[in-house]
Amino acid sequence: MEVSLEKVSKSFGSLEAVKDIDLSIREREFVTLLGPSGCGKTTLLRMIAGLEKVTSGSIYFGDKLVNNLRPGDRDVAMVFQNYALYPHFNVARNIGYGLKVRGAPKSEIERRVREVARILEIEGLLERKPRQLSGGQRQRVALGRAIVRDPFLFLMDEPLSNLDAKLRVSMRAELKRFHMRLNTTTIYVTHDQLEAMTMSDKIAVINDGVLQQFSTPQEVYNRPTNVFVAGFIGNPPMNLLNGTLTHENGPALKFGPARQTLPPATHPIVSKCPEGKRLILGIRPQDISLSEAAASANLVGKVWLVELVGSEKLVDLACGEDIQLMAEVKAEQNFSVDQTVGVQFNPSRIHLFDPESGIAMRD
Amino acid sequence: MSNILQSDLFGKVRATVLYATLLLVTFLICFPLLWSLSTSLKPTTEIFATPPTLVPEEYSLEQYKSLIQGKDMYFVPGTKYRPKTSPPQHFLAWFANSTIVTFGSTVISVVISTLAAYSLTRFRYWGRRFIPYFSLLGYMLPSIIFVFPLFLVMVELGLTNNLWSLVLGYVSITLPFCMWLMWAFFRGIPVELEEAALIDGASRLRVFIEIVLPMAMPGIIAAAIFSMIVSWNDYLFARIFINSIQQLPLTVGVMHFFEGVHVNWGLMMASAVMMTLPLAALFMVIQRHLVAGFGAGAVKG
Repeated sequence: MEVSLEKVSKSFGSLEAVKDIDLSIREREFVTLLGPSGCGKTTLLRMIAGLEKVTSGSIYFGDKLVNNLRPGDRDVAMVFQNYALYPHFNVARNIGYGLKVRGAPKSEIERRVREVARILEIEGLLERKPRQLSGGQRQRVALGRAIVRDPFLFLMDEPLSNLDAKLRVSMRAELKRFHMRLNTTTIYVTHDQLEAMTMSDKIAVINDGVLQQFSTPQEVYNRPTNVFVAGFIGNPPMNLLNGTLTHENGPALKFGPARQTLPPATHPIVSKCPEGKRLILGIRPQDISLSEAAASANLVGKVWLVELVGSEKLVDLACGEDIQLMAEVKAEQNFSVDQTVGVQFNPSRIHLFDPESGIAMRD
Repeated sequence: MSNILQSDLFGKVRATVLYATLLLVTFLICFPLLWSLSTSLKPTTEIFATPPTLVPEEYSLEQYKSLIQGKDMYFVPGTKYRPKTSPPQHFLAWFANSTIVTFGSTVISVVISTLAAYSLTRFRYWGRRFIPYFSLLGYMLPSIIFVFPLFLVMVELGLTNNLWSLVLGYVSITLPFCMWLMWAFFRGIPVELEEAALIDGASRLRVFIEIVLPMAMPGIIAAAIFSMIVSWNDYLFARIFINSIQQLPLTVGVMHFFEGVHVNWGLMMASAVMMTLPLAALFMVIQRHLVAGFGAGAVKG
């Protein structure tokens, strides 16, 4: 069953938390709602769950409009950030509560709970109370409570954010495996782009209640639709430089005295723009190469910080008065602070954005 | 070496002084209780014995018997004549009245305050932020200010000299604080638990009964205890609202043992013990919850 959102909005008083979001999620897809905190992604998830009323717009499950359906009647399961396990029930009752409420016979509940416990490897914990469990175990119980009812849609609200870093990585892989095994449509909320990139079939990037881009992780990374997505996805973030377009000696962007030739792929778009138009050039730190031969380069920078992060080095550069860049280079390359280096952009990896609308300039 | 000995000695002295002080304070606090217990177990003849005895020389349930069966004050052996100068004993009726009123007002207060506090913490409407503080303000006014207006209300309602007047009167003083206590308590219960249960398919009412109430139990117990103490120990409202001897609760009723210039200390002390017992027993059973409840309210409120 497909999940479709049509022009969904939510206001709390004068605050517009979600604005006109259209989203179509296919059956079995793992979709992540990604955005900075307070961007409205959790509100959107809660509206899909039925915990929050939709101010305007429609939510469809298949062909069925569910705007006014109670959460319990939507056949969805939700995993909360703080797990929300019932503290006075033991693990077995926690997992089986949804079945009990729906009037399943006792033997059936017991069988299903055991089965889910076996899948999640928590069979030994069924008699324990939530407070006797570790964070990872609680996480599994919360997951079990969602799985046991075999809903058509899983909703997950930052389920990994309360775990320590190491456990988060292993739970991430485990969640992905569960999804591959159960094949249930999943909507997953996170502010962690790594989770979004590794787990999702599709990512919906949201900012200020507005859907910025909805496509595959590769697409979001390689072809960001606007400045926000470009700056938000990728670690370290993409460099965004303000330049002026010139058509002298072929299309190029000028940053003060420096000049960057634009790759042929961008020519059809920039040729329509007038001389002197201001543009934003985006380039990921990974797509910048540095050389010690500063003289032959068309962009020259001065190193002011070098950070070693394992196999890479992050180099902060100042190019001229007001241009700051970050480049990611191999750890073996040695640069010292205050050294002057030549800066080379990988031309096929240059992104161009319109500074007024922030939208990517493509044909 | 001598240092260690000295510190050891110092420790012993300190402990001795500490425990002696504690014992003394405990004794001072318990003395009135012990004294009333001891007096209630003495036969009338020993009550005024000089020197007074803390431990009765002769144990007797005479006072309790009189309390329950009634006592003929000027009974003259050998005659059937029982003058009406002595009031008949209404102790059992008073006890029942106190129990009914306490139970009634506590149930009403706890039910209303729990529902009201739940609504205040979980639903959005105008005033839900300041009502709890406002209600606490009401509780801070002395009840003597309320009692006469309330009496006039009871007259209008035709409830004077009726136990309902006491039930409603006590609810009016306990409800604000109970509601504030429950409000503070509910705020500490994560709303996600209820949302999880809603998604699990439970109705609002079922969520309230199966998920919220069990978690709020310490708060409910604390609120109930508070309400019971206030209702059971009240004197003012009962003195003003009730005027027939059969309808009195214990607190005002036992004042009848001041028989003019003569105070019947035996009956007085026996009723004091009887009045203290139910609440003391209750405390012992649920004091653990009481501490948890007040603690939670204090920290999260």
